[in-house]
Amino acid sequence: MENSNSYSPYSSSSVDSTKPSPSESSVNLSLSLTFPSTSSQRETSQDWPPIKPRLRDTLKSLRLRQRGYNTALFVKVYMEGVPIGRKLDLSTFSGYKSLLENLSHMFDTSVISGGTRDRKHHVLTYQDKDGDWMMVGDIPWDMFLETVRRLKITRPERC
Amino acid sequence: MNYFPDEVIEHIFDFISSHKDRNSISLVSKSWHKIERCSRKRVFIGNCYAINPERLIQRFPSLRSLTLKGKPHFADFNLVPHEWGGFVHPWIVALAKARVGLEELRLKRMVVSDESLELLSRSFSSFKSLVLVSCEGFTTDGLASVAANCRHLRELDLQENEIDDHRGQWLNCFPESSTALTSLNFSCLKGETNLAALERLVARSPNLESLKVNRAVPLDALTRLMSCAPQLVDLGVGSYENEPDQESFMKLMAAIKKCTELRSLSGFSEVAPLCLTAFYPICQNLTSLNLSYAAEIQGNHLIRFIQFCKRLQRLWILDSIGDKGLEVVASTCKELQELRVFPSDLHDEEDNDTAVTEIGLVAISAGCPKLHSILYFCKQMTNAALITVAKNCPNFIRFRLCILEPNKPDHTTSQSLDEGFGAIVQACKGLRRLSVSGLLTDKVFLYIGMYAEQLEMLSIAFAGDTDKGMLYVLNGCKKMRKLEIRDSPFGNAALLADVDKYRTMRSLWMSSCEVTLGGCKRLARNAPWLNVEIINENENNDVMERNEEDEREKVDRLYLYRTVVGARKDAPPCVTIL
Repeated sequence: MENSNSYSPYSSSSVDSTKPSPSESSVNLSLSLTFPSTSSQRETSQDWPPIKPRLRDTLKSLRLRQRGYNTALFVKVYMEGVPIGRKLDLSTFSGYKSLLENLSHMFDTSVISGGTRDRKHHVLTYQDKDGDWMMVGDIPWDMFLETVRRLKITRPERC
Repeated sequence: MNYFPDEVIEHIFDFISSHKDRNSISLVSKSWHKIERCSRKRVFIGNCYAINPERLIQRFPSLRSLTLKGKPHFADFNLVPHEWGGFVHPWIVALAKARVGLEELRLKRMVVSDESLELLSRSFSSFKSLVLVSCEGFTTDGLASVAANCRHLRELDLQENEIDDHRGQWLNCFPESSTALTSLNFSCLKGETNLAALERLVARSPNLESLKVNRAVPLDALTRLMSCAPQLVDLGVGSYENEPDQESFMKLMAAIKKCTELRSLSGFSEVAPLCLTAFYPICQNLTSLNLSYAAEIQGNHLIRFIQFCKRLQRLWILDSIGDKGLEVVASTCKELQELRVFPSDLHDEEDNDTAVTEIGLVAISAGCPKLHSILYFCKQMTNAALITVAKNCPNFIRFRLCILEPNKPDHTTSQSLDEGFGAIVQACKGLRRLSVSGLLTDKVFLYIGMYAEQLEMLSIAFAGDTDKGMLYVLNGCKKMRKLEIRDSPFGNAALLADVDKYRTMRSLWMSSCEVTLGGCKRLARNAPWLNVEIINENENNDVMERNEEDEREKVDRLYLYRTVVGARKDAPPCVTIL
């Protein structure tokens, strides 16, 4: 019955791009993540038994803590050109959209990932567990959480 | 012709508050209809797409309190895409434009934006109460607008919402002059909380009766909060992973002792067991206890606490309490009216026999004469147990049983659970809500159709054999309002048998059943007063452009509801309205 997602150390589904955005946000999200959830994926992890998301997350966190996983995921975030970085707990975000919105708010600029790049927007990149710097947004959120080590908001021309 | 002048009739109507009764009154005569609608202050709309805001305002110009519900119930279990709909914005825009004197807004499963909250906060000068349940789409910036601009805010109650926490200073946005708060619940916020701002707010709110904080409020802060609000009736606690030191513990207990009005306790997610014991001084006063997030507290600690809670009327707990624990509840909590037992082990990973079984359920039914509502998650059940429960508790209004493994039979006889549920519906003549589970054939639906005369809401999952099952329900349950079905073999024959039945119902949900696109199209043609929505897996599938062969294709998710305003215009690509 189980698929790989249910043992992933971090909660939240891999499909999240579809939440309506708060209109204040200045994020230009030129990212389209559509992972059609197949029935089997839905059945195994997220829609049975019929409990609400908050309880589901609570129980997931408990299991992980019991297994010794750390459910918080703090990574360093740097804005290019700014020597002092920030630290962010990625486990509090539901997906890329929520992460980008938060970063845009935190750094008071417009941060995007992937897609069409133009001069106006900063681009978010991450260093994965192999040490390579990659564009944020290409892989499913859950997978991203497992591999991300740090974040960097780069100047657009660099990419 | 009325015997009394209109003002007298209106005064009499003031005593009638139930929505059903007021709806009935409005049908008596044209004159009563007019008096009723002009004096109506509270309106409940169970499906925001059944009507539009303009018509609502036209009919009820004196509207003060509005309740709106958006997404269907199964959205709670990830079966409805986030972007499906249920936007509150057009409602707020219309209410603002018409200068309605809105004072209360209660929303459930709706999409709320910061823009909506900002508009709300600026448009209604007497606004008093905002209750958001299972909503999403907004951030703490929206809360900041509400805090800052709603001068007369009394209640801000956020239950189980998905809120993007911008770690801002929304609590700081309550002006110093704001002293009217009676209820503040932000337990679902995930981020940091400005403790100083919270303490100042609580200190200047002498009427605060209900306070539910989020995880980020540590023990010493909680102690200070309780010290300056000993009048609290309802408290939601944060999370405390580490056992408190002796001094902190004593201070907490001292603060708790002073809260002699405390009747309701909740929160406790990630809480060390010792923290629960700090509440011993007041536990005999408690009427409501929600420990359903307290996954860290083991059964024996729970039992030790509950054995003193003699006045409990409502208990929400995890199944780790076990049958033994439920036996303690049964012998202690004689006033118990509502019990919810949630699962603590989702994937059957623990090889534990400590979770609840049918034994616990029977014990509760035998020990608690006032029990009328139950939600029970368990791994096994028997017909004999259900029959005993039915005999012990004929007063059930809500009976929801969820056996974790789909299609699981009676574990002692290997038979279906038809007889057990049959006994429940036969004995509980006032049953209004029912959820069935386990191995079930069409027969259980025959029983439901025959006996469940007051049933308004039925949830079916992995049950039944043929269309007959669904037909028994549709033909038998005259008061059915909401029917939700998943993973059951009901198809077009059942769906189309009596189209007019859907006039009397709010909505029907069918997912992973046998209905086909062709069947849904036929239904939509025969019932133009219904919105028949098909929710697709893939966003870019234009269902209408499919050819004849696809008519036989099964529909993954169907949601239909009666409406007086036709097809909605805000559906996303993954939803097709036939």
